[in-house]
Amino acid sequence: MLALFSLTLGSEPAAGSEPGDTNSLPPCCRKFLPGGPVTDTSLYLLESRWISDVQTNIRLEVLRGRPQIVAMFFTQCEYACPILVNELRRLESSLPVALKDQVDFLLVSFDTERDDALTLAKFRQTQHLGNTHWTLLTGQPDDVRELAALLGVNYQKDGRGQFSHSNLITVLNREGEVARQFGGLRIPLDDVLKLLETMVPAPR
Amino acid sequence: MHFVLFSRMNWITSLLIWVLATAQASPDQAGNPPLLVTIPAGIYRPLFRGRDDLPEVEVGRFLLEDAPVSNDDFLKFVRARPQWRRSAVRRLFADSGYLRHWIDDLNPGNEPDTLRQPVVNVSWFAAKAYAAWRGRRLPTTAEWEWAASAGFLGPKGTNEVEFKQSIAGWYGTPSPTVLPVVRSGRPNFYGVHDLHGLVWEWTADFNSSLVTGDARGDTGIERQLFCGAGSQGAQDRDNFPAFMRAGFRSSLKASYTLHNLGFRCAADFPSKAAPSP
Repeated sequence: MLALFSLTLGSEPAAGSEPGDTNSLPPCCRKFLPGGPVTDTSLYLLESRWISDVQTNIRLEVLRGRPQIVAMFFTQCEYACPILVNELRRLESSLPVALKDQVDFLLVSFDTERDDALTLAKFRQTQHLGNTHWTLLTGQPDDVRELAALLGVNYQKDGRGQFSHSNLITVLNREGEVARQFGGLRIPLDDVLKLLETMVPAPR
Repeated sequence: MHFVLFSRMNWITSLLIWVLATAQASPDQAGNPPLLVTIPAGIYRPLFRGRDDLPEVEVGRFLLEDAPVSNDDFLKFVRARPQWRRSAVRRLFADSGYLRHWIDDLNPGNEPDTLRQPVVNVSWFAAKAYAAWRGRRLPTTAEWEWAASAGFLGPKGTNEVEFKQSIAGWYGTPSPTVLPVVRSGRPNFYGVHDLHGLVWEWTADFNSSLVTGDARGDTGIERQLFCGAGSQGAQDRDNFPAFMRAGFRSSLKASYTLHNLGFRCAADFPSKAAPSP
């Protein structure tokens, strides 16, 4: 089953590749592999459509199949978001071999006015977020509000056009259910790695 | 000509409603659906502010329902949208307490007042879906607070002793086991009932408040709610009910359902009727 899965991903055509670090498309924009019906508490029940730096009209369900490390952010964030993104990168670089290609990262922007596909693409570049495992999304204000509500992220735009927001890192399991959340700006690496190991099929 | 036709249709409709009403339930039992009333533009002064927050938020003219959504109103919705019936709703969108006060999927209860009581035990998602079904939306927190700041006699309730006493009395009392019916409260200056005194209400951006319950300390703003010097960042230190609402909203999650939490709808003011500059 696992072999089949990786085979499918491995044979993914490198169409639409960018002059980035890899040829592959971000998780949001690979070929959709439909599974059975999603569970009652899966975020993938959401029908909202999202825009990435690569593609538009994306349903979150396309991310199904791998654990996702999720954070909300905005590209013009001066304080917390760079730290959050750094934390996620730190997690990525500490993934053991067995997890390396099994975990994805998802950043969703609050800033529906200023963060468009182009801005997200620039952010991907300046932050050195590889295509293979990082999805950057923006969407309609209502949809962002709804996703934030589901994750339990509170946010508000302040007088300078910055967003005050709670800092929350969410781990979604392969089915899109919230498995664990971490508040604050530090990820307890050991905890997360242990959790991720339970979500990824054991190598044979 | 149009007018004659319209009034005749109206007359026929009224007769039909009367016939139906006498045949089934008395109109008293079901009550009237909420009506949209116009709330004029104004300035909402948020209770809590961060260093960079605007002290004032402009609220444009909008429409707000004059009463919370009742069990009867909500029954019509779940009839039309089966995915929102108690037995069908997805757990992601409503916790297990969803509509728990109802007898079953399509029966809110048999007490004489049941249909006219405000619907409670509904999640934010359910409230949003209801509003969309009606072609309306939930009010923003700023809109809700702006409308709720009006007194009985004028747009500024804080000037009215009687108004202040009446609402402080409610916020200081536990919810009654049997809820009063909608519109049982005295209407405010704009003709809106029950903004205070009946149930708490969802707002579209209830999760914009950073007075967080679970991640305290991750933002600077929520400090203003807690501790003795807590109200220093607050606009109006006397406005205890507004403190309570801010704290309440920030403790909610979108799938929560509570026995004293309902909602009402709002709508944009129709733009073609707006005066040209």
